[in-house]
Amino acid sequence: MCPRQRWRGPFLQNGDIAVVLTKTISKTNTAAREPLVQVRRVVKTYGPTKALSGVTLDVHAGEVFGVVGHNGAGKSTLMRVLSGLDGVDSGSVQIGGATRPSGRGFPGVRMAYQEGSLAQELTVYENIYLSSKNWIADRRWHGAASRRAAARLDEIFPDHAIKPADYVDDLTLADRQMVEISRATIADDLSVLILDEPTESLSGSAVDHLYDYVRKLRSSNHAIILVSHRLKEILSVCDRVVVMKDGAVVSTHAAASVTEQDLFLAMGGEVVIEKPVQGTSQAATDSARPISIKVPMATVDGAATQIVAHKGEVIGLAGIAGQGQEKVLDRLWRRNGDVQVSAALAYVPGDRQRSGILPIWDVARNLTITALPSLGKNGIRQVDKENALVTKWVDQLKIRGGSSAAITGLSGGNQQKVIVARAFASDADTILLDDPFRGVDVHTKVELYQLIKSEARKGRTIVWYSSENSEMQHCDRAYVLRADRIAGELHGTDITDERIISLSFVEARGS
Amino acid sequence: MVSTAILEKFRFNLPKGLARRVLPGFLTLIAMVMILLICGAMQPRIWSQNGLTLIMSPIVALAIASMAQMVMMSIGDIDLGIGFFVGMITTIVATLLRETPILGVLALAGSVLAYALLGALVQLRSVPSLIATLGASFVWLGMGLFVLPVPGGSAPDWLFAYAFWQPPLSIPAPLVTMVVATALTWFVTRRTALGVRFRSLGSNPVALMRSGGSLVVTRMLAYGTVGLLGVLAGITLTAEIGGGDVNAVPGYTLTTVAAVILGGGMFTGGRAVAWGTLAGAVTLGLLTVLLTLLSLSSNLQPAVQGFIVIGVLAGRLVVERMTR
Repeated sequence: MCPRQRWRGPFLQNGDIAVVLTKTISKTNTAAREPLVQVRRVVKTYGPTKALSGVTLDVHAGEVFGVVGHNGAGKSTLMRVLSGLDGVDSGSVQIGGATRPSGRGFPGVRMAYQEGSLAQELTVYENIYLSSKNWIADRRWHGAASRRAAARLDEIFPDHAIKPADYVDDLTLADRQMVEISRATIADDLSVLILDEPTESLSGSAVDHLYDYVRKLRSSNHAIILVSHRLKEILSVCDRVVVMKDGAVVSTHAAASVTEQDLFLAMGGEVVIEKPVQGTSQAATDSARPISIKVPMATVDGAATQIVAHKGEVIGLAGIAGQGQEKVLDRLWRRNGDVQVSAALAYVPGDRQRSGILPIWDVARNLTITALPSLGKNGIRQVDKENALVTKWVDQLKIRGGSSAAITGLSGGNQQKVIVARAFASDADTILLDDPFRGVDVHTKVELYQLIKSEARKGRTIVWYSSENSEMQHCDRAYVLRADRIAGELHGTDITDERIISLSFVEARGS
Repeated sequence: MVSTAILEKFRFNLPKGLARRVLPGFLTLIAMVMILLICGAMQPRIWSQNGLTLIMSPIVALAIASMAQMVMMSIGDIDLGIGFFVGMITTIVATLLRETPILGVLALAGSVLAYALLGALVQLRSVPSLIATLGASFVWLGMGLFVLPVPGGSAPDWLFAYAFWQPPLSIPAPLVTMVVATALTWFVTRRTALGVRFRSLGSNPVALMRSGGSLVVTRMLAYGTVGLLGVLAGITLTAEIGGGDVNAVPGYTLTTVAAVILGGGMFTGGRAVAWGTLAGAVTLGLLTVLLTLLSLSSNLQPAVQGFIVIGVLAGRLVVERMTR
């Protein structure tokens, strides 16, 4: 213990930790000289998107290592690679001497996921047993697993109220997260613990308890990798922080010598800001136009406010993915009692495979499905009108393959064109876009941005959620959301990557 | 005051979510007892070892087939071929197993293996289980007709001996068989690591995958278990009808689903309710007896069953809405 205490002094004051770390440790502790986790020039692509473009980093035993970055920075992909769920295209990953993961991932590496890794129909102890089977005796495993679960929960979260025999789907989100974190830590060979947004659903005292435990793990020479959007927490618990952007590490900082502001700047990076089209924003921000939607919200400080969109306006919902943007769209689409919304709505989903296309129908039928009721006469379809509409949109958007092609035969970009055209072909006056351009090629995107603007000029209201910040500059106004609340509102040319990023991390005063 | 305090305490000690899972099966058990009491009131002679054996022996095969369906539904799949599978097994038992036991045992083992392969097909080719098992049901039918084109054959002697077995303490033999089969299924699905994997496959395959389990192997083992229980159901059915007939019980396919639902199972998977399913199967079986005693046409039975299942599902939905 003693030697490591000695090097932490200079380590916290010096900017270039890696050097200090290797130097000091080589004098004192030969066993820990090698970094526990070594990532070298790792590249990973999913189809057309390059998720990681040459990541290099080291994590040492006995340190808490923070990873921050905005949407699409590659954090999740990096964690999947480190936990051994995904292989790499090129480069190398070495963790504790192992260079490739076994069937259960890298030995000694455990990850607490943000969601989705507990079986809801199983009890807490059964979930623990499922994931930590190697370290629980097979005979009388019910008792053994229950005791392990209860002991670890007590150790990390002393005031929890979870019984090992509770069924997971009857637990609150916070309780589930506690189980998930405990599950990940129950491994006798644990050397690296990855925590992915562990505190997103935990309450204040549970957060403190978790970080106390993280510090305890650090002092027993474990490595902890912490991914979080909560910069304050990152800075308070981590030794080093890396900032990721566009699939690469842009900078490494000693947590003691950086501020939240420094991290914002590093995340924003050098972005080329295109000027948004001036004409539409001028016309649309004119508040003399009738209001077409109104959604009551709260600001991060808890004050009441609302999202307002005028007729002919393009409204953006920005911020870190999953901070409540889709909930706003959902409230509008379901016409919740508290929202004011125009008569006819159309919705463009983001996940084409799951909720977008009708796979066995052709382009024409996929395109007209939303407009169908208004095209019919007394409930009978009018095929000639439908065909005219299809021809118009296929020509306008240059959908390759034409109207009679099978929808599944089209490229992703062209499929997305059909789905967008479907909404605009209807007579809806408000169009809800749910991050529709993920994984769409640049050409298609530019065409669709133009379409959105021209349709808005014709008097339609567009509410557009996007996880890609640069897309938001095509909006007249953008609301940045944080934890289901509004962190800020940006107008016209103010809608930039930097502004969105800094607003994304706004936290309530006093927390 | 006192009673609410006790209730509060009771609630506090009970693991969260347990009541919601046990209650449906418990209610079915009450329904079963009530039907039994009504039957007994109308015909007191059923209160004897012989009487109970008589009304329960047709239910044994249904109960075991329901266990098979329960395992299938616990991994989130539905078996639309179990009726013809059980029928096919009776033809094998009544011919091959009687005449050339070694060949018979091999044929039965082959049937279980075929089920496991069906599971691999469902997992690897992502064929919906409904389609795969419906397709397989025609294979079972064809095989059964091939083995025994017309109903006939004869149960092996040891099976006849079982059919006339009278356990001590005037316990009805069918009850012993059903309880043993249910206890085994309960043990495998609830007390073993394999059962945890089955249920996690039905509840959240991602969790199973992240824990290092193989989806293919787990699904194959689950289907193999279903096949094994199907074979047991076929053997007990042969004992009941005394021979083989592939067309003996095509209705089992949907009745078993009804039994699992009555017992507290879910179409979405993840729940294994062996004891509830037993109560469900016996309740559905006793309905026939009740309708006969009421001198109503047994042709009404499917309709009555249907109403009960719809009623149970609707009632459960209402209860869930109220408790959440």
